[in-house]
Amino acid sequence: MAEFSTSVKDAGDVNIIYLKGYLDAHTAPILENTFSNLVDSGRYSLVVNFRDLSYISSAGLGVFMAFIEKIRENNGDIKLSAMNDKVFNIFDLLGFPLLYEIYKEEDEAINKFSQIKKLENGK
Amino acid sequence: MIDTENIKVKRNLTALVEFSRIINSSLDLDFILNNVLLTCMGKFLATRGLIALKVHEKLQIKSSKGIPEELKKKFPEVSAADNTIDNEQFQNFFQEAKLQAVEKICSSDECLGVVCLGEKLNKSPFNEDDIEFLKTILNIAASAIQNSIILEEIKKVNRKLDTRIQRLNSLFELSKEFGIVSESTKVAKLLVYSVIGQFLVSKFAVVTFIEDGTRILETKFPEDQLLSILSCYDFSKLANPINEQEIISNYDKLAKIGIELIVPMELQGETKGLILLGKRINNQKYSESDIEFIYSTGSLAIISLENRRLFKEALAKQKMEEELELARGIQRNLLPKEIPAYNNFDISVLNLTSQQVGGDYYDVIPLDDNSVCITIADVSGKGVPAALLMANLQAFLKIICKQGMKLDEATALINDLVSENISDGKFITFFWMILENETKTINYVNAGHNPPLLIRDGKIIKLEKGGIILGVMKTFVPYLSESIQLKKDDVIILFTDGVTEAKNINDDEFSDEKLENMSLEISSSNAKEIMNNIKDEVQSFAKGTTQSDDITLVVIKVR
Repeated sequence: MAEFSTSVKDAGDVNIIYLKGYLDAHTAPILENTFSNLVDSGRYSLVVNFRDLSYISSAGLGVFMAFIEKIRENNGDIKLSAMNDKVFNIFDLLGFPLLYEIYKEEDEAINKFSQIKKLENGK
Repeated sequence: MIDTENIKVKRNLTALVEFSRIINSSLDLDFILNNVLLTCMGKFLATRGLIALKVHEKLQIKSSKGIPEELKKKFPEVSAADNTIDNEQFQNFFQEAKLQAVEKICSSDECLGVVCLGEKLNKSPFNEDDIEFLKTILNIAASAIQNSIILEEIKKVNRKLDTRIQRLNSLFELSKEFGIVSESTKVAKLLVYSVIGQFLVSKFAVVTFIEDGTRILETKFPEDQLLSILSCYDFSKLANPINEQEIISNYDKLAKIGIELIVPMELQGETKGLILLGKRINNQKYSESDIEFIYSTGSLAIISLENRRLFKEALAKQKMEEELELARGIQRNLLPKEIPAYNNFDISVLNLTSQQVGGDYYDVIPLDDNSVCITIADVSGKGVPAALLMANLQAFLKIICKQGMKLDEATALINDLVSENISDGKFITFFWMILENETKTINYVNAGHNPPLLIRDGKIIKLEKGGIILGVMKTFVPYLSESIQLKKDDVIILFTDGVTEAKNINDDEFSDEKLENMSLEISSSNAKEIMNNIKDEVQSFAKGTTQSDDITLVVIKVR
């Protein structure tokens, strides 16, 4: 039944979450757990890499909604990257691109965080 | 002269071919329109121009050059009919925008829109040749424009279809998932995730209505605050979703914490819970079909929640049944299997256990060939705890009976033992007596039990001597005992309150009086007949009700 899994990589100030498999109502609690752990330990700059995700349902999308407010309140963000067309289409259908930054590559998303960091330091 | 004409024609043809090639190479409407407009303006050296296309039967500007935004806003709402160009409003706009030439874009079967061009740079008017050429350009452009319009429509339809499919998938997935998850909080969580993911909501709550109030399953609002606000309104009869406007005007407290939509979760016409949602982060409003989707997910969830509740209830009931069966078993084992026969006494016993298994106990313990100890007791409480206490009592009795102690002293000892072993306000009403067969005497102690009736010569003597009920406190005042010499045809009836307190459908009690009166009437019968008579009378009295307490009777007739 292990049709979905996550793994987390520490990349300095940013954490990258890799999703694999099917993210639906059944597996959404796994991702919820991953986010919960990160947020609880004060990690708010998150990049999600969708490269190995083959499907996402609205319950899966709900997990992103459940955490985004708290993360942004703490000056963090969830940036999304490397989606395949099918997955992007669902994000797009539900209007996520208005609210979330979506990048082709994981690196672009990470760089976006470090740019902000530089800007803040420059002040 | 002819040569120049030829060259001009040739140049125009080349331009047309090139134009045709370019616009037919794309299906992007904006690109095509832009190209058509630029080509026209370039060809005629016009300083301004616009293309309006038919959208829902009305003309709408789709591309324009050199026309101020302010003016564009004034473009009239005219239908794209054959006579549009002659329409007054259209003509007014035409004048105001300083347009000079207008030509329809027609496909083989319909008018797609119009092209309007402003005055030429050299101020010369559009002549017939110009209009002819414009028509040619538009003929070429028409099919490309039509194709791209159709493509856009298909794209739109596809997207709508995708949304539908996606929603159906969500519902399908949820219904599947709701079938397997086992906790109600998880059902609520899945429901919430699906809805907030679908509609980009960050503030939400899911509550269910239970017997004694409202239960919050999921919320992003402070629980206390939400509960206190919800308690201000009655949602238990809510049949339809409430939209933002209604919330603002009728439920301002909910509006204040940012709730924009309330959707009831209904099951068989009963409102079992609510989904409360805050605003959508993309600032869109909830459409009818959105609300319908939320309602559907809510319905799925409530079925699942309700099933789970019913299952739990059934499980608890089954457990209780098992427990009661256990209690019944204990009680059955405690009661005497057979009653010894005596030549001077005719003894009959009856014990009817109620559904809930009350705490009735009776015993007949032979002490020797000549004497027998007869006990009746009612342990407070029901079920297993009462049955266990009863078992305790029997154990004490069996031991004490064999010690040859006097009955009053023995009662004091039993009370001490029971008091030590009893807790949480339980007690036992208790009566016992020793019958001597040869001498036909009894010696009894009554510790708070319904006084047994001794019927002699058409009169009733109540066997009341004794003391306090067992288990309330250690023996402080000694128990009293009484000895009575029995006579032939005396009848003693021992009973529990299940007899006198049996209720009829009007909630009236059978009563002591009734028992006493009928006992007097039937005292000439034998023990078994007396017992059955009382039983029948009580049962016919209580017909149509559920027997809530055990019924116990011991009848002794002196021969």
